Amino acid sequence: MIQLCSNDDPPVSFTVPRKAVELSKTIKTMLEDLEGFDMEQTPIPLPNVDAPTLELIVKWVEQHQDDPPPVEKPRVEDDDSDDSDADDDQEPEVVIPEWDKKFLPTDDEQKNQLFKLLNAANYLEIKPLLDIGCKYVADKISGQTVEWVRDYLNMENDYTPEEEAKLKEEIAWAEGL
Amino acid sequence: SMATFEAEVGRRQAENDQLPRALANIDEQIVCDQLTDELPDNFLEQFNQLLDRPLEQVLHLLPAHQVAQMRLVSRRFNHLIRKCSKTMPKKEHNGSISFKSYDIGEVSAELLDDRGRGITKTTLTGNKGALSELLRFIRIGGKMYFSHGLSAVDEVLDQLCKAWLTIRPEVVIFSGDLSQTSRKSLKAFLVNVEPSIRRLHFQEAYNIPHNLLSDDLIGAAGWLDGLIVLPMGRGSNLPNFNITDKSLLTMADADLGSSYFCVMGCSGITPGCIRAFIQKWMKKEKPKAGANSTGYRYGDKWDRCTLAFYKCANVTPAAVEESCGDLFKKK
Repeated sequence: MIQLCSNDDPPVSFTVPRKAVELSKTIKTMLEDLEGFDMEQTPIPLPNVDAPTLELIVKWVEQHQDDPPPVEKPRVEDDDSDDSDADDDQEPEVVIPEWDKKFLPTDDEQKNQLFKLLNAANYLEIKPLLDIGCKYVADKISGQTVEWVRDYLNMENDYTPEEEAKLKEEIAWAEGL
Repeated sequence: SMATFEAEVGRRQAENDQLPRALANIDEQIVCDQLTDELPDNFLEQFNQLLDRPLEQVLHLLPAHQVAQMRLVSRRFNHLIRKCSKTMPKKEHNGSISFKSYDIGEVSAELLDDRGRGITKTTLTGNKGALSELLRFIRIGGKMYFSHGLSAVDEVLDQLCKAWLTIRPEVVIFSGDLSQTSRKSLKAFLVNVEPSIRRLHFQEAYNIPHNLLSDDLIGAAGWLDGLIVLPMGRGSNLPNFNITDKSLLTMADADLGSSYFCVMGCSGITPGCIRAFIQKWMKKEKPKAGANSTGYRYGDKWDRCTLAFYKCANVTPAAVEESCGDLFKKK
């Protein structure tokens, strides 16, 4: 068993089977690097995860510890200098399993908890959890207006009116497609 | 002795006491390393917002028509979408795109549907924006025309080579003024479209610099099954293009049974090579017309091959008859 500690003061500790905790690539790599140390006696501090989020993470990894491992694909580092032919390389469609649908904090008042969970899944590199969470958020904002998306994702419009007008003009060109 | 034993126990105990502290330090370093590498400085204030990577993943799952709109959400969204524009979902455009230019520094871009009807058009000048920004979230397929005036100048071709664009035309047609088109930019453009381009036309193009077109430039476009080099102004000032047997024979290896090779002013083409081309082509297995299509592609029958040579010094009717006559009789 492995102990994980939240970033709260005082930290909240969770004891998790090693197999389950190794669904986190970040922790798995750390455990491999520290091979030889008695990790069962040493709590692992997670400075980016609070207790309610860690509780969700633990619940998810315990539920999915016997799942077949996800197919690993190298992440395409996508920036302006990248000239890889990534546009032809489609990711398979993500389907959210029934248990996960009930597990995800999807009520509107829980949306910030959902974002914390996805940030934690990203930090801990739990790809399947990140995939289903992102799929949920994408489905939620799909077809919604810019204003609605801003509100849902807790973002502010930080454009000047001139910048916004210029951007709208640029976007409008391809609207008819 | 007991004293030695107690000293050894004390030493071991001290070592044991140090181990968890050392281990905690290692843990802290490893975990914190990830923090400094991947998370923004104000991470702790951003708990209620998705971080860049999850947000990027969410954006990748949106329908293409919504992604460009999402740039309006905030500067952070715009930055992230632009940064990842190579892999973001893009609107498909498989009709035509036509570039025209009547003045240096100005280019108009028009999207047309597959029946040639205009969908949208804009004119870009030096300070109004860049072509590469206009096309950032569109996947260009179909036909690409560089017509009217200086539409294929280096600045335009260089813009179309930006790494974040997805330019995948099957047919590229140059029919404007090529006086300000350099080999370097044209070659880079052809390399960029090489995965998709099947047909390349320099049709009614004018002011073609004498050293612009050559085997290696045509070769940059990869396996073509159609090449036309028929410039405007076919008088005595027609340049001699350095397109030779090499380009013709390369086309004989193209996948499709249908093909055309229509060139003008290419003295490097020889009747012997025409014979070799025909022999190769006749041996090729032809796709069955109508098997899973109408039997036509770009207006040509699947199983047709057209060779046309105008003002190519070595290709005269008599020379071709002498070299290839027996093949035609056989057919």
